[in-house]
Amino acid sequence: MDCNQFKSNVFAFSEKTLEKDTYQAAEHHVSTCISCSRLLSEYKVLADIMEQEKNAGPNPFAATRILQRIENEFYKPKGLTSKAWMRVLQPVAITFALMTGILIGSYTARQDQTPVNKMASTSENIEFLRSNLFISDFADEDKLLVLNK
Amino acid sequence: MRWKHLPALIALSNSMTEPELIEGILRRDRHAFQYLVTRYQKQVIKTACYFVGNMEDAEDLSQEIFLDIIHSLHTFKKSSSLSTWIYRITVNKSINMVKKQQRRGIMMRLESLFRLTTGQETGKEMEPSVSSDDFEQQEKRELLHAAISRLPENQRIAFILCKYEDQTYKQIAEIMKIGLPAVESLIHRARLNLQKHLTYHFSEYKKN
Repeated sequence: MDCNQFKSNVFAFSEKTLEKDTYQAAEHHVSTCISCSRLLSEYKVLADIMEQEKNAGPNPFAATRILQRIENEFYKPKGLTSKAWMRVLQPVAITFALMTGILIGSYTARQDQTPVNKMASTSENIEFLRSNLFISDFADEDKLLVLNK
Repeated sequence: MRWKHLPALIALSNSMTEPELIEGILRRDRHAFQYLVTRYQKQVIKTACYFVGNMEDAEDLSQEIFLDIIHSLHTFKKSSSLSTWIYRITVNKSINMVKKQQRRGIMMRLESLFRLTTGQETGKEMEPSVSSDDFEQQEKRELLHAAISRLPENQRIAFILCKYEDQTYKQIAEIMKIGLPAVESLIHRARLNLQKHLTYHFSEYKKN
């Protein structure tokens, strides 16, 4: 067996899955060739790593976490706090709050915008203007001016 | 009843047979759930870990896998063993997660590329201090995982089930729903591909 043949069989050789004759020829070659022996040692390290990973166990608390997840999924009562409901309720509540705020705001603004009541009598209107504009006395010309407007 | 009585219940339910377990799960029985998790958690988490590449993601994924098992158990046709069916679900879910991770990885690489071109600092991640032996071992571990993850999907599944999970070719054929010769061929080609990649790396390493 030469180096190229060994290289093409090195994985199977390290796993000892080669046929008996080929395995013996590879074994003979690797005992005489330094570079192939180095290559084989690299593969043996990889085989050790694979073995370590095979024997590594999961976190001992993993089972508890899985069971907790199952508990939440199958046994916890799903009321209004469930995610599906929250997904619907949150936008509805926000929209409702916004709309209420806008309505209240526009209503109060409309209340403030009535300086002169057209249906009231002239003297009542003058009284209203006096109190709002802090004018104690109106001249007759001013009265006429306001009323004409 | 909560999970605090878990050890006692495990001992109690050790004698549960596969049909009893299936029936129990379909009845949403807690004992059956506990038995299912304790019996198959190692198999599920380890198999997922070989595909996703780290234990944390594998443990998170295992929760989804168990929920999937419970939800879809009514579709189990009993033509194979429960273990084989669970392997099939685990492999499919893990492969899907790997695909998602790859998509996310592409996006992250694009983002980091964008940051580099716009002159923003990338910010190095903290690396634990390791000895040179550990470092070499870690480097080889990463090399091995990289080589396995580069295998075509079917070869990767067959190789992992064979090498890490010690499944027979017949069991692999059942899990993957393919014939025995196809499994043999997949594993043979996986070995050759791995050998090609690893030997190339080792020869490059020696040159450097």
